[in-house]
Amino acid sequence: MMARPARALLVGLAVVGAGIVVAALRVNQYVYFAGYVVLQYVVIATAWNILGGYAGYVNFGTPAFFALGAYTAVFLIQSTRAPLPVLILAGGLVSALLGLGIGYLTLRLRGVFFSIATLALSIVLQTMIINWEYVGGSRGLSVIRPSGPPFGSYVTFLFTVMVLLSVVAVTVARFIERSWIGRGLAALRDNEEAAECMGVPTLRLKLFATTVSGFLLGVAGAPFPYYVTFVEPNSAFNLDYAVNALAMPMIGGTTSWVGPVIGAVLLGTAQQLATVTISSEMNLFIVGVVLVAFVVLAPEGILGLVRRLRGR
Amino acid sequence: MKRSGTWGLLNWALIGATVGALVLASGGVFVARGADPIKIGFGMALTGGLSANGKPALLAVQIWKDDVNKRGGLLGRPVELVYYDDQTNPATVPGIYTKLLDVDKVDLIISGYGTNLIAPLMPIAMERKLTILGMFGLANNEKYRYPNFFQIQPAGPDPQTSTAIGFFELAATQTPRPQTVAIVGADAEYPQNALVGARELIKKFGFKTVYDKTYPPSTVDYTPIVRAIKATNADIVFVASYPPDSVGMLRAAHEVGLQPKIFGGGMVGLQFTSVMTSMGSMLNGVVNYDFWAPEPTMLAFPGIKEFLNEYQARAAKAGVDPLGYYLPPYSYALVQVLGQAVDATKSLDQQKLADYIRATEFNTIVGRVKFGKNGEWAKGRTLMVQYQKVHGTGIEQFRGPGKKVVLYPEELKSGAIIYPYSAAKN
Repeated sequence: MMARPARALLVGLAVVGAGIVVAALRVNQYVYFAGYVVLQYVVIATAWNILGGYAGYVNFGTPAFFALGAYTAVFLIQSTRAPLPVLILAGGLVSALLGLGIGYLTLRLRGVFFSIATLALSIVLQTMIINWEYVGGSRGLSVIRPSGPPFGSYVTFLFTVMVLLSVVAVTVARFIERSWIGRGLAALRDNEEAAECMGVPTLRLKLFATTVSGFLLGVAGAPFPYYVTFVEPNSAFNLDYAVNALAMPMIGGTTSWVGPVIGAVLLGTAQQLATVTISSEMNLFIVGVVLVAFVVLAPEGILGLVRRLRGR
Repeated sequence: MKRSGTWGLLNWALIGATVGALVLASGGVFVARGADPIKIGFGMALTGGLSANGKPALLAVQIWKDDVNKRGGLLGRPVELVYYDDQTNPATVPGIYTKLLDVDKVDLIISGYGTNLIAPLMPIAMERKLTILGMFGLANNEKYRYPNFFQIQPAGPDPQTSTAIGFFELAATQTPRPQTVAIVGADAEYPQNALVGARELIKKFGFKTVYDKTYPPSTVDYTPIVRAIKATNADIVFVASYPPDSVGMLRAAHEVGLQPKIFGGGMVGLQFTSVMTSMGSMLNGVVNYDFWAPEPTMLAFPGIKEFLNEYQARAAKAGVDPLGYYLPPYSYALVQVLGQAVDATKSLDQQKLADYIRATEFNTIVGRVKFGKNGEWAKGRTLMVQYQKVHGTGIEQFRGPGKKVVLYPEELKSGAIIYPYSAAKN
């Protein structure tokens, strides 16, 4: 029993180590830029899946949580020039609070009504940011990166940070999935009334899921200002985040922590390649076609497909 | 012996052939190296909100490339463009430019179109000490003060007031002098900047503000806004808007019967052919900022006529703005500056290019360009034009002079203002 978490920890550490090695190698800078985006999607997809996959509550408000993380960071950069770890933690906490609040207000809504409420959340928050001049308002704000980063360039450093954050996100997701919380969430996903009758504390579990999911989405958003160096509402609240956050776990498989990782790596890489090869119009088109294909042909994602091929 | 002799002959033939092939190949390599293209890389808004301008800008740069290559290229090497679609999304810019610099190994970069797409490029260029030419960004360098940044929009040393200065200067010289001002704009990047500038100018010229409000960019019905402005009875109405709201505001102004003495200012979109041909005579009387108009004063610059002929011939096929009077001449001028700098310094050295661009006055199809503080034009040259005598919605009328009369600045003036607004309306 003791061996399993230890092994997971080892694997996690190995991945972070590998990330640091890749960063120290100083290969082509483009690898870090593209890698950062893909890893950012690993965190986003994993975070989305905690609520959307395990609990079955589809969240269309991903951009709201992501952007809140980013704007918390912008606020702290503007006011205190806080270091990156503080930004990440603060971004996560503020988004977690939003998750908790939204969960409390909307989880009485079920199914599609919850989804609509989260979609509205994104619009409300964007309007607020547009009118908040201190963080750039509608004009946007240029963020100047701190000088003298480790690994020579700031983006290489951000890449390493994102590797670490992905490992943390995946570890949290894996822990939730394998613990009683995951089983409780699975129960309420299948039948909420039945789960309630069986003594599953559904509201508390759902609140837990929205909070953790919000936290991780905020964490993914916090380094964003230093990555683009220019934050404006349209790109921070981009609909792409909502679409990808949903598509990636769907394609990978929503029932396990591996699913979002597979989906994010596959789709994220495909999108990065499409942007610089075919044309970026193909970008969302690819996501759309692949998503429809998976929903129709392999509703349980790649994981389900593999299981089906292996099992039966 | 005989056999070995044959073999020997064959061997020699083989060696000869190989060496010959190698010589030819190496010759080919040398030729290829001699003619190795100079790569210019950029991201451009080919999809998304700014694509209606991004695509014509791309065409203009392509025309320049063809012109240069026809003349033998730069430094004896052909010019090649490497570009990607930035989707009008700033978040794609860092990835695109590192791809250009590290994978495609471009020699020179220029920016994509628009302030928000230039902003994320600044730190990348600064980190690598590159020379960047910016395409229509407003005050991008104010925070960084990077000496190797140059920007082609003729906003001048004070970008924030550049849109409105001509408008308020004109207003101040009319008789009877207008007294009250209403300013309105969208909650978005450019309009907010323009409004800040307008407020400054209102104070400077001593007008009295009676209305100062913004609206969300997603607004669809502009009549309540225009009604509120009408109720203030303002003499001057300054609007800072993006294309959809420019159209909405103008239509609403006609519906409601808004009759200020001078109307317009910072409305983006009215310059576009598609908007001009859909609004038609509704444009009459509007005094608005612009960068180019087919007036004799603007057509006097060398090369502009040839460029426009080429552009208009290729525009239909490319499916872009058929006249190309707004951004394309400046996009062409931007790469002209870069090309002239490469030719003059005989180098691709980023610092040498920047030093040369900083010190030189360039002769381009939009006139003489000299860069000053923060890489902006040393002297601003944003035009104020008035739409006059537009009949119906035909496109042909916009090709010639007289429809978009240049009122400001003085040295490019091509006609007189019709004042007040209502006199020009019909």
